[in-house]
Amino acid sequence: MEALLQGFAVTLSLDNLFYCFVGVLLGTVVGILPGLGPLTTIAILLPITFKMDVTSAIIMLSGIYYGVAYGGTVTSVLMRIPGEASSVVTCLDGYEMARKGRAGAALGIAGIGSFFAGTVGVIGISFLSPPLAELVIKFGPAEYAMLMLAGLTMVTYMSAGSLPRALLMAAFGLLLGTIGSDPMNMTPRLTFGILALGDGVNLVPLAIGLFGLSEVLFMARQTAEEMKILPAPTGVLGFLPSREEARRSVAPVLRGTVLGFFVGLLPGGGAVLASFLSYAMERKLSKRPEEFGKGAVEGVAGPESANNAGTAGAFVPLLCMGIPANAITALLLGAFIIHGVTPGPTILERQPQVFWGVVASMYIGNVMLLILNLPMIGLFVKILQIPRAYLTPMILIVCLIGVYSSSGNPADVLIAVVFGFVGYGLRRHGFDLGIVILAYVLGPIFERSVRQSLAISDGDPSIFLHSYLSTGFAIVAVALLIAGLWPKRKARASA
Amino acid sequence: MSNLGGTRLATFGLLAAALVGLWQSMRLESWGFDGPGAGFFPQLVAGVCVVLALIVLVSPGRAGSTEDGDTEDQRGTAETRRTFAIYAISLVVLALGAAFAGFVVTAVVVAVIIVRFAERRSWAAAIGYGVACAAVGLVCFGWLLRVDLPEGPIERAFYSLVR
Repeated sequence: MEALLQGFAVTLSLDNLFYCFVGVLLGTVVGILPGLGPLTTIAILLPITFKMDVTSAIIMLSGIYYGVAYGGTVTSVLMRIPGEASSVVTCLDGYEMARKGRAGAALGIAGIGSFFAGTVGVIGISFLSPPLAELVIKFGPAEYAMLMLAGLTMVTYMSAGSLPRALLMAAFGLLLGTIGSDPMNMTPRLTFGILALGDGVNLVPLAIGLFGLSEVLFMARQTAEEMKILPAPTGVLGFLPSREEARRSVAPVLRGTVLGFFVGLLPGGGAVLASFLSYAMERKLSKRPEEFGKGAVEGVAGPESANNAGTAGAFVPLLCMGIPANAITALLLGAFIIHGVTPGPTILERQPQVFWGVVASMYIGNVMLLILNLPMIGLFVKILQIPRAYLTPMILIVCLIGVYSSSGNPADVLIAVVFGFVGYGLRRHGFDLGIVILAYVLGPIFERSVRQSLAISDGDPSIFLHSYLSTGFAIVAVALLIAGLWPKRKARASA
Repeated sequence: MSNLGGTRLATFGLLAAALVGLWQSMRLESWGFDGPGAGFFPQLVAGVCVVLALIVLVSPGRAGSTEDGDTEDQRGTAETRRTFAIYAISLVVLALGAAFAGFVVTAVVVAVIIVRFAERRSWAAAIGYGVACAAVGLVCFGWLLRVDLPEGPIERAFYSLVR
């Protein structure tokens, strides 16, 4: 506790407060705007921080990282364009809430839930880092493979559609993830000799195509009456959820926070998996599962809390073990090293002011994000009042900027358009597109884990049952598959 | 086309994609001297995808929750079909424009196609809105934020003036 108070003393200096504010502001803007992802922004700003104090630099760069999680929600709710992979699931119910005139409430709940989850996540980092870091070390390739399998099975089991359909979407997402160079020996796979597919199908064109562009095609099919979006309250307090919405959000926020933090600890797609698992769990536990996909407030509150808690959780392996959980934390690791700080078990002994300064800045950064975002919600929801004739070209241009700038490759725009049509066709016939994205994101980690495990065991698949952890995950996966095909569920599905 | 027929058609598309994936991955090494090869996982996943697609083809089961509003008549009115076709064309123009015409021309043409032809607003509104969108995109993203935008003669001329 004393160390944390010292951290606050470091963060509350005028300089560090300023850099923290700049970080979260940039993060929010980057999350809302297409084109500039957190990775690009941190990479651009990294050289600027070379002459800064190490703690200030890390505080600013971390602020960008967790600020993006807030900003990405805005485009998901208002335009059905996911700002990042972990915002994909927010598109489903957030956008439907916006169409019902509850955009402000959706953004407000997301903001408040994210604040709560982010803060609890930081408390988790403060007090649980060392033991959690030891737990994460126990995850070998076999445990990872089975965890990914269990995660995917859980999300497909809890899908609203039939299990075979959901599993088909998961397999399709995994197949898309195998396009491009083999992650282990760089052999080109499923590229058909097309150079543009050498790096695979990127996440940005895939997500924007399946969600943003397919939505434009859906809008085109609707009549003026069907298109009608109920006006959202735009007053200063217009973002506040109703009493009923607030009541329904409490439990999902709490569950999403706990789930998100622990799943976020895992390297790879922790925050993404957490948001999907939270959505699936809320749908399963809800008394009104039929409302999911049609504007259920639990479908926004749970996943948004989970992805923010997951973002905080991702700092545990980074700070305590020097293991980056994703590409952005890998860049932050680079920033640490450039500034002469080596994250790992010894950071608490050698440079406690950096560790606790960063942790304390997250508390303050979360407060700043809340203050910064809530008053702006009224401004954001005005986008929904734009008529379709002018809104759709704007969405297309935003998608064009977002996709092209992610790689500078015009072929990615073509890929996004192709997936726009594919997404439209699949969505129209009741296939869950969110599962495709989740499987695509987890696919490379799943593949690497499976192959590493089999390489270690010389092809013996029993390696997946050698530890309690992996056996437990395997049992969960099999049990969910059996439960999904159980006659009771089948009867419910056909009802 | 009935909704069930549409579902089977969509599943058939997925089956075709999976079969192509399986065919391509069969050409890769599935097992090497150091363990699973590059083809191991794609073969496994594509095989599973084929089996699941066949199951869904035979028994489509219940639809998911993302098909909101699809129980209506799928054909829609002639006007709706026309609007949809124009929007679909605008997406194709978006892809082609990004490759060959640059950001400004693409943004203006896409806006004009939608505002003028799909939504039947005036030429002035369509062109004015297109130019405004293109200008905001070019200045804010291309110049001030230095975001990569598709480049054509207009973008190159603009950047040579301001950069």
